[in-house]
Amino acid sequence: MATLFVMQGRDKGKRFDLRGDDITVGRDGSNRIQLNDSEVSRRHAEVRRTPEGIVLADLASSNGTFVNLEKIDQRLLKNGDRVQIGRTLFLFTDADDRSSVNLAHDVDIVGLGNVEGSRILKSVSHESGSQLFAPPDPAESPWLARARSNLQVMYRTALAVSHTLDIDQLLSRILDLIFEWVEADRGCIMLVDHETEELAPTASRNRKGVRVDGKLSISRTILDYVMQHKEGVLTSDARDDQRWNPEGSIVKLGVREAICVPMQGRYGIVGVIYIDTYTPPGQIVQQRAPNKFSEEHLKLMVAIGHQAALAVEDTSYYSAMVQAERLAAMGQTIATLSHHIKNILQGIRGGSYLIEEGLKEEDNEVVRRGWRIVDKNQERISNLVMDMLTFSKDREPELVPADLNETLADVVELMQARAAEAQVQLVLQRRDDLPQFQFDPDLLHKAVVNVVTNAIDACEKREGARVEVSVEHEPGARFVHIVVADNGEGIAAEDLTRIFSVFESKKGSRGTGLGLPVSQKIMREHGGDIRVESTPAVGSRFYLELPTSVSAVVNQTQLP
Amino acid sequence: MTQSPSVLIVEPSADEREVLRTVLARRGLRIWEAAEVERGLELAREHHPDVILLDTEANHAGDDGVQAEFDATSIAQHSSLIILGRISHDHSLPASQVIAKPYHFAPLIHKIEQLAARAA
Repeated sequence: MATLFVMQGRDKGKRFDLRGDDITVGRDGSNRIQLNDSEVSRRHAEVRRTPEGIVLADLASSNGTFVNLEKIDQRLLKNGDRVQIGRTLFLFTDADDRSSVNLAHDVDIVGLGNVEGSRILKSVSHESGSQLFAPPDPAESPWLARARSNLQVMYRTALAVSHTLDIDQLLSRILDLIFEWVEADRGCIMLVDHETEELAPTASRNRKGVRVDGKLSISRTILDYVMQHKEGVLTSDARDDQRWNPEGSIVKLGVREAICVPMQGRYGIVGVIYIDTYTPPGQIVQQRAPNKFSEEHLKLMVAIGHQAALAVEDTSYYSAMVQAERLAAMGQTIATLSHHIKNILQGIRGGSYLIEEGLKEEDNEVVRRGWRIVDKNQERISNLVMDMLTFSKDREPELVPADLNETLADVVELMQARAAEAQVQLVLQRRDDLPQFQFDPDLLHKAVVNVVTNAIDACEKREGARVEVSVEHEPGARFVHIVVADNGEGIAAEDLTRIFSVFESKKGSRGTGLGLPVSQKIMREHGGDIRVESTPAVGSRFYLELPTSVSAVVNQTQLP
Repeated sequence: MTQSPSVLIVEPSADEREVLRTVLARRGLRIWEAAEVERGLELAREHHPDVILLDTEANHAGDDGVQAEFDATSIAQHSSLIILGRISHDHSLPASQVIAKPYHFAPLIHKIEQLAARAA
């Protein structure tokens, strides 16, 4: 499936499916891809499906449409193309656009019997690989030593940028590396702000022990030059080499030098790296040279800038993906909860309407029916809120020695009215030989109520419907089991793994999909779990396992 | 003797069925109820109700095919169809017979009575 994924711009993180025929892109609400971008025309471009593939066409927009930085009228899109419309940057992906060559014909993984003559001569671990460039040999030429050192810097840069997906951490590592390698006093990385398209300082560093006066001032002319020409620059206020003599002002005032390089990514400049240094007058005479920065430093900085830019782009893409997933999850959660709340509201409205009708006609029976519906829906919203709170918070159970029979009797008593309404016989098989166990009575009550509620719903109005709550316990066993058994419709094998997933419900408008995940969470917080055995059309047995000797394990809870 | 107008309620929520049943029965309408669409279609074909009320949250009622089947059944039997929720395909229904959720019961009851009276 072909998609346009927004990597930059106000709609960052959104993914647009390109299914269907001609899809327009623009600012206006009539476009299937509507962009929140003032630099996009009302109807800016069109995505067309052709026999050759997906074509992007500009619709005579004011600011133009660009593919991989090139202005286009019409262009066949390829996997990985970057599409710029206004300030919005898309990544085009097409899952169908891949090589049809079947590599399985060319590559064969052979078994142990076919490796005659092959043996491992040497193996190198990841850690050893990072020592690719050993310290220079004093005997080798200075040129070779410098080349080895530069390669080492590039290798370490590549490693540094590949180990993090946090932009701040990434930039900080790059500055660390630069400061290790070059004698800079101050350094700063500025990234392009996608909203304003201006450079904004994002990370800075001063060399330890170097006195820095005030703010770091960076010449706008230099920045503009670097951004426009996409070239790194080396600057020095020692403008005239002829001044390099013991009487010259340079010797009296010192020299300030700077390197500023673009962070040239795959599709544009993402920022700049700036470093500078100051050589005081005395040191110039001592080192017999006016400069600390050389052309070689500049070249290496350009290479580092490129590496850093690629990493910034990748990190930015990754964070956009994460944001998109978060938004999708949040959207799904809000939609599901809104749906349940809407149904509950509808019930309350219905009950209220009956009460109103009953009062109007002075019919107490209708008032009673209405009130029962209102009351039931108040209970539903209360349960929904409590389940949401339990599910969203990690809390340590308040373990106290408690009587399991008493907690289960409370549950069964509470659920009797609902069971009667559903024409289900609800019974508790007490075990009078049970010792006290350590558990949080309120939480366990909640966990069992949710399972019993499901059991009642599963066999509602079936002939001979019965839900039985019992306890299985052997002296000395690690777990005591609370068993909730019903003779209801049962659960299909393919659904057994899904029933503990949040918002998965087979109960239609009656279920929130929170009950079982909440029960599972509570049992896991106690160090136990829930398991289920079920046969479709015969019934289900839920086992709530409670450790007989526990300490709370709230932090180890793993939810699906 | 002429029979009083009739309504078929296809609604998964027991609460909503109870509200509609209670009020409409008191207004003299005959009621059939179904929680699921299959049973709803059976009742529609058996009793030819004057009004069919279909909640799109009933099982599969959001599908094009199911709604189209109710649409066709209601046209063939000269029943009036009211859809509660979102419609999934191009219905010939007037906009006033598609009611978004959550809805208020008074206008819905009024609408059902109007359509039932027209049929009578």
